[in-house]
Amino acid sequence: MTCNLINEKLDDYVDAQLDVADMHSLDEHTAQCADCQEILDRERILRASLKEYGDSSMPQPDAAFFDRALAKAAQSGTRRQRNRWVMTGFGGAMAAALVLWIVSGTIFEAPEFSEPSIATIAMVIEEPRTVNLVFSSATPLTDATMTVTLPEGIEVMGFQGQREITWMTSLKEGKNILPLTLIATSPLGGELLATLRHADDDRTFRVQVTVI
Amino acid sequence: MTSVDQHQQASFDALLRPHLDRLYRFAFRLAGAKPEAEDLFQDVLTKVFARMGDLVELKEPGAWLCRVMYNHFIDGRRRYARQRLVSVSEDQLPEKSLESLPGKLDPVRDVERLDNIMQLQRALDSLSDDHRLVVLLHDSEGYKLSEIQEITGDPVGTIKSRLHRARARLREILSADGTISSL
Repeated sequence: MTCNLINEKLDDYVDAQLDVADMHSLDEHTAQCADCQEILDRERILRASLKEYGDSSMPQPDAAFFDRALAKAAQSGTRRQRNRWVMTGFGGAMAAALVLWIVSGTIFEAPEFSEPSIATIAMVIEEPRTVNLVFSSATPLTDATMTVTLPEGIEVMGFQGQREITWMTSLKEGKNILPLTLIATSPLGGELLATLRHADDDRTFRVQVTVI
Repeated sequence: MTSVDQHQQASFDALLRPHLDRLYRFAFRLAGAKPEAEDLFQDVLTKVFARMGDLVELKEPGAWLCRVMYNHFIDGRRRYARQRLVSVSEDQLPEKSLESLPGKLDPVRDVERLDNIMQLQRALDSLSDDHRLVVLLHDSEGYKLSEIQEITGDPVGTIKSRLHRARARLREILSADGTISSL
């Protein structure tokens, strides 16, 4: 082991990216070589300073900045997309999400896999859970109506106290996802209905909600 | 605002909020100044709102968001990074910098540490944009090389080389001005 090696391998040594043999060799060398030990000490101090700099240099946004930024982004995006239903969802909750499908009729094409006749989800009181309703449409649709009817004690986040929510929407060709984040406020449970209507056709999801 | 708008906004909020702190820090590392970082942050959030569908099937939306921000920053680099051309002066440091440093019961030591932090900042500002970004993401923010690769699209070998050169340059600058021995 020579002193040149510490310069060649300094980064990997401090990052603990060398193999065991090289790490051991450099450990032994720096323990005996004051010059290399000093180089190593300075590098470790530099790294610690860079780490410290990470926090000390970082400005803090004011308390409401994130709220304002989210609201502004949503308002700006909504203006551009008004009357157009965008695919949306909760990426972080996908593992727990229940994915449902509407099967084909005159306006909807069949999904690739079978549809559960009535889906069931279990919820815990006051613990939000996301249900993704996935609509597959053969053609773009406008002027469709979505109605969500909730059993007593089950609410959609953001719509506290409402048992029925209806809005006009559009579907694009292919897969469209509607995420509903539900909260159980009582142990009653019951059946949730999500009905999509277009012209004289309609399809309904039935979701049995049980509350633990 | 209609009920569907409210629902979209609630979905957007729930989807993005867990990633906002990291995204804000990333914006600041890219832009280097608070006003430009907040412009970048806002613009990316607005852009992402229209692409919520892309997030649905992602296991790690945080990395995707950083990649979107990085690409957006590269496209508008002149706008978001103009403050980099201005040298840093003491009054530009956040007021709480000194308070956030350990050892605040020792005012003399605090002043020395603040001075060292400013020297480090000047040294960082002298690096190229690519080198500074890599060393800040890796050594200050704790990103792994693979995460930087995922965000920038550059090969790990290239990133590692930039990191090596950036550290070497910092050592050179901070040794020459005597900062590194007193850090």
